[in-house]
Amino acid sequence: MSHPLIRSMVDRLVAGLIVLCVSVAAVPVLVLLLFVLINGLPGMLTPGFFTDPPYPQGVPGGGVLNAIIGTFEIVGIGSLLAVPVGALIGIFLSEYGRNQIGNTVRFISDVFTGLPSIAFGIFGYTVVVLTTHHFSALSASVALAVLMLPVILRATETALVLVPNSLREAGLALGAPRWRVTLEIVVPAALGGIVTGALLAMARAAGETAPLLFTAFGNDIIQTNPLQPMGALSLTIFRNALVPYPNLQQQAWAAALLLVALVAATNILARIYVRRIQR
Amino acid sequence: MKRVLIALSLGASVLLAACGGSSVSNNPSTGGPTVVPPAAQLTGAGATFPKPFYDAANFAYNKKFSQVTINYGGGGSGAGISQLTKKTVDYGASDVPLSAKEAAPMGGTDKVVQIASTLGTVSMAYNLDGVADGQLKLTGDTIAGIFLGKITKWNDPALAADNSGVRLPTQDIHVIHRSDGSGTTYIFTDYLSSVSADWKAKTGGPGKSISWPLGDGAQGNAGVATRITQTPGAIGYVELAYVLQTKMKQAALKNRDGTFVIPTAAGATAAAKQFVGTSPSQFSIVNAPGKDSAPISGYSWIILYKDQADKTKGTALVDYLYWLTTAEGQQYAVNLHYAALPSSMASFDLLALKDVTSGGSALLSVS
Amino acid sequence: MSKGTAERVAPPPLVATSRQRRLVDGDRVFLAIAYGAAALILLIAGIFIIALFIPALPAITTFGLGFFVSRTWDPVRIQFGALPAIYGTLVTSAIALVIAFPIGLGAALFLAEDARLRFLRGPLSFAIELLAGIPSVVIGLWAFFILTPLMRDNVDPFLNHTLGFLPLFQGSPSGYGFLTAGVVLAIMVLPIMIALSRDVIRAVPRALREGSLALGATNAETIWSVILPYARVGITGAVLLSLGRALGETIAVTMVIGNRPQITTSLFASGYTLPSVIANEFTEAVGDVYLGSLFYLGVVLVLITIAVNVLARLLVWRFTGSETASA
Repeated sequence: MSHPLIRSMVDRLVAGLIVLCVSVAAVPVLVLLLFVLINGLPGMLTPGFFTDPPYPQGVPGGGVLNAIIGTFEIVGIGSLLAVPVGALIGIFLSEYGRNQIGNTVRFISDVFTGLPSIAFGIFGYTVVVLTTHHFSALSASVALAVLMLPVILRATETALVLVPNSLREAGLALGAPRWRVTLEIVVPAALGGIVTGALLAMARAAGETAPLLFTAFGNDIIQTNPLQPMGALSLTIFRNALVPYPNLQQQAWAAALLLVALVAATNILARIYVRRIQR
Repeated sequence: MKRVLIALSLGASVLLAACGGSSVSNNPSTGGPTVVPPAAQLTGAGATFPKPFYDAANFAYNKKFSQVTINYGGGGSGAGISQLTKKTVDYGASDVPLSAKEAAPMGGTDKVVQIASTLGTVSMAYNLDGVADGQLKLTGDTIAGIFLGKITKWNDPALAADNSGVRLPTQDIHVIHRSDGSGTTYIFTDYLSSVSADWKAKTGGPGKSISWPLGDGAQGNAGVATRITQTPGAIGYVELAYVLQTKMKQAALKNRDGTFVIPTAAGATAAAKQFVGTSPSQFSIVNAPGKDSAPISGYSWIILYKDQADKTKGTALVDYLYWLTTAEGQQYAVNLHYAALPSSMASFDLLALKDVTSGGSALLSVS
Repeated sequence: MSKGTAERVAPPPLVATSRQRRLVDGDRVFLAIAYGAAALILLIAGIFIIALFIPALPAITTFGLGFFVSRTWDPVRIQFGALPAIYGTLVTSAIALVIAFPIGLGAALFLAEDARLRFLRGPLSFAIELLAGIPSVVIGLWAFFILTPLMRDNVDPFLNHTLGFLPLFQGSPSGYGFLTAGVVLAIMVLPIMIALSRDVIRAVPRALREGSLALGATNAETIWSVILPYARVGITGAVLLSLGRALGETIAVTMVIGNRPQITTSLFASGYTLPSVIANEFTEAVGDVYLGSLFYLGVVLVLITIAVNVLARLLVWRFTGSETASA
């Protein structure tokens, strides 16, 4: 191992291996996106994809309007539940949380982040579906809200912690009470981070399937009532993959493309927003 | 006088409709009554055996009566029973009526109403290059052998014996079965238990979920169909509608009389005719005698509570279910290669639906 | 308002005036709301535990700890054991880590080091972040239609040919099963593995790295003898966090695992994982013991995931000195 030639050869070899690893690491995402694009585009361009619900076999046409409405509504209600609570907890952690209670909250939040998504489905089922004797979009929203909570919480806390203390001190020095300093000075300064966290949590929630399996139940009819079972893009993809009908399989790919586009758009939106705020 | 009567009945129907009841008028095309349901959103879950029929029928019913929407989620017969027990759905669908054990949490079989909704048959679908649709011949023994793991290759002598003249490849057989609690599995294992003592001994008899000796599991009839189409050398049991809709290859099955039949709706009807007095306690029609009988046939059932808590919903439910069992509803089954309900079963269903009450009064306004 | 002008303003009185009392009340209200929100998450956690544990009790009392070592999963005879599902979960996760660890570490070294081809770092980081954001069901869809035939027709026969003497690669492949699920999981944990390893490697003091290079060591030797040993603890944490993610992944795995509760040495065979069983059988479980067994599985899954995650975060934090980029 001491001969200089061997050493430099080993060095080149390792460098080559690293480049190999990099190439291999980059392949999956490219392949994935390529296939989703190629297989999803025809379905998306089919007339009726965005405007019709799915039709039974034998009836031509059909689309995923029920799922699009469902995803937006379920994630929307879930965000209405999770964002205020999560932001509040984040504020609590950053401003008042340097104590044992704060550490407990952080620990619980970390635990929640690592839980398998199906656990949230079980939670939604036991707490909402069994008590109301109803599958419903609301139970799915509750499950997703609990899933989003730690993400929003953490993002809020991080954003608030990054706000320089001088801002707080200046506010207090001007005679403003603590709560006004927090709400009117610190939080607006951290808004970029908070909004980003919320958007990313929503993007993640939109892609979840397992929590919806036994809460939202799915619905082939266009449904807007949150107390009724509802469809969602992720459910459509999951279920259509498992049926032998080519037109439904095509809808699955197209729905996947749509979902990926929505998630990407949300991420880009978050980035633009942060850059605007930072200016 | 006639005009007075018509006016009176119209007035009565308006009143009934206003109270959330249904209105009845004479349907000129079928000659039977048309029941107009009150507005409701119904949710059902369960068997995938009849799901193509239910999907088509529900779509048509909603087109006809836009005030009623029916959301049928499938999930397998086991899920239908389970969700009905927990009352998270308005009705459950199962290819197998309730056993005593399953009915117990619901309060017993006299607390529920079970009606037959359609009649279908199970095919043995396979994915083999070089063997055309209907060319493969299977008997009860060979099917049991395959699903027990005794016959593992397609060119096994036992298969070749029934299939002289067919080039069976040397491929491994990939067995596909259901991973969820399935009424179709029950019908299939009911058949195997009656034709193969070996199968019955090894697996303990028919069931919705059994301990399979081998094979991969897929969800729902649709899942099994998809898996078969995607896996060369695969074989599985699938309801006929799925096979025909996706143009899969299916085997000719030897029935009790010794004839090899390709499962069809007519074969299901022939099998059903052999049994008199079918009811939720006596429902099996597998391995039927008769040269035209398809051997793995069965009814599919819909289960609901006899006493409906919500009167409007209950009324809409029985109206819908009644429609499903009439010729108008059954046409959607026939279009998809299910067999129409024999008139004896349709009458049985009507009587059963009349038993459904809410707050003490019967909901179905059909005589 | 100008700062610093020497305007003599009377300082606010030390005695609380009515206005100050109101302000303090505002503080109190806000504090109460904030603490209330914190209490809410504690309440949710409490409900979570109850919602998971209580329905599992019928199964816990029936099977006890024997649940963990029983191989039977028979809904007809009401005999349930978690061993096949635990086996499947562990095997697929192990495969995922075996694939993702070297690739992830290599990519992380590239991203963290002052290496050549620096222009690739941005695109690679972006690609990895994209992968992390793709929903699990989309990956499952792709795996179901594209990866499965690829495995069945190309990869599995190749492995059978070359390594078929190992019982791992024997048997006839259907494209579904442990190996395919392991590959899918590897793709899903790759982003975490890379991101965390990169942070861990970046946390190695520059002085150490530069010192090693200054002493004449090559890049490879520096990595092997200086960086990796130093970062060992942190990388272990990264691996554990990836494991935690792999353990809990439900949908993508359910679509390719084959749905068969069995314990077998062949990686081509079909199996079951803890989340898959729950996802597949939850809606149809009738009876307290059947449903309870599924909840029991959920309890097992949650406990294992929590333990792995807590351990991992302890290791990673201790190493990088602070909370790292979100997983």
